[in-house]
Amino acid sequence: MQDLELLQDGLALMALGMGVVFVFLTILVISVTLMSKLIGRFQPVPAAVDTGKKASSSSPPAAQSDEVMAVISAAVHRYRSTRRR
Amino acid sequence: MDKLVTLWEGSGLYNLELGQAVMIMVGLLLLYLAINKKFEPLLLVPIGFGGILANIPEAGLAISALDQAIEVAKPAVLQQMAAALGATLDPLANAEAWRESLKALAHDGVAPDQLRAARDIAVGSGYSDGMLYSFYKVAIGSGIAPLIIFMGVGAMTDFGPLLANPRTLFLGAAAQFGIFATLFGAVALSSVGIMDFSLNQAAAIGIIGGADGPTSIYVSSVLAPELLGAIAVAAYAYMALVPLIQPPIMRLLTTQKERQIKMTQLRPVSKLEKIVFPLVLLILVALFLPDAAPLLGMFCFGNLMRECGVVERLSDTAQNALINIVTIILGLSVGSKLMAESFLSFETLGILGLGIVAFGIGTAAGVLMAKLMNLVSKMPINPLIGAAGVSAVPMAARVANKVGLESNPHNFLLMHAMGPNVAGVIGSAVAAGVMIKYLG
Repeated sequence: MQDLELLQDGLALMALGMGVVFVFLTILVISVTLMSKLIGRFQPVPAAVDTGKKASSSSPPAAQSDEVMAVISAAVHRYRSTRRR
Repeated sequence: MDKLVTLWEGSGLYNLELGQAVMIMVGLLLLYLAINKKFEPLLLVPIGFGGILANIPEAGLAISALDQAIEVAKPAVLQQMAAALGATLDPLANAEAWRESLKALAHDGVAPDQLRAARDIAVGSGYSDGMLYSFYKVAIGSGIAPLIIFMGVGAMTDFGPLLANPRTLFLGAAAQFGIFATLFGAVALSSVGIMDFSLNQAAAIGIIGGADGPTSIYVSSVLAPELLGAIAVAAYAYMALVPLIQPPIMRLLTTQKERQIKMTQLRPVSKLEKIVFPLVLLILVALFLPDAAPLLGMFCFGNLMRECGVVERLSDTAQNALINIVTIILGLSVGSKLMAESFLSFETLGILGLGIVAFGIGTAAGVLMAKLMNLVSKMPINPLIGAAGVSAVPMAARVANKVGLESNPHNFLLMHAMGPNVAGVIGSAVAAGVMIKYLG
């Protein structure tokens, strides 16, 4: 008798558990999809942001390397002139 | 000569019981599996070593001050404790019989204040809690160690693939069927009379199917602490066995053609989406399932630290130093539950058997759900990624990738499988919340 009750409890918990897991994750799917759409609307397209970042990040190194080159060549020049003397 | 006898009677060899010897062998076996076979070594090394420590005779590393005093105290102290517990000891019986009756008394529902009084006497006579017992009380008894590990897992998880294809969450949900089917199986076994599990114990066993170590430990510490050792060992051992358990089931349920399905490239996910996702998840948990809040709350917190990008130091600590420290303490604490009297029973075999069934059913449910989704949706889904719905991050995703590559060497499923994989973590935490709500 008690065994049957235990079995019923188990079945109930199984149905309830699977139900809740599915409902919760369905709500999560809906809210995540909505969130992505909203963010996609209010934020500029991520691809554009990416290219912007790349363009801006590629220019400073170029400028920097020019400067570095100038410093290095100056140093080399001075070193050579001191050695010759 | 008397001194020699005393020394001999205090030695481990003299006091070693058969059960303890067997448990030390079990500990050595776990160490062997971890070191030689690379079975989840990060956990099985501390668990195995803790198991050996817990079974050292007379040392009492894994028992409380009260139990320790009952085991070894002088008869005078025993009489004091019996008085505190509101019982009298038969003056004709010997000390061994006293210990037996006191042990039965202390573990069989005396009033809490009497128990506290007896404990005070034990502490007053110079007995203290064993080291592993204290570890257990702090780390698992309070529930914090699995939760901190969950925070670290959150800090290591990239939700990008999931956000790019949110429908994979359904696969993570389907794979949780393993948990509940096993729960039902355990209950059915008890109602037939083969095993003897209560509903709480059945739920704690079922959660092994979630393939998530911290979740299993958390749930069993709440619902069935007496089974924690066996459940944790089964969970971690089977997680290590995922590459052996899953592929046959996956091949059985899919055709060659289905395994070759190519999935569309995932869209790029913006940083903002990744920052907002843990907050959305947290709000949903707060609204609908507060009982999953400890697990998912810490998970979301860890993930937010990772994605927000302004607390690099905290995120780094959560996913490296902190999780390592907690893993050591958690492993030793789990090991403390590998004591002969609770582990060496027929039920443990049942738990090990049911655990592997749980994994199998979860895998099958995930694969079948993916096939079902393929029927109704336009975007193709390779059914193999459904198997990754049983969390076991990232092992299950790697297995899906590997089986996919066998059918088509140019079909890389790893990123697609990460979606259901992390969905499985959320799913098993939700399942844990439901069970704790229903039974706790």
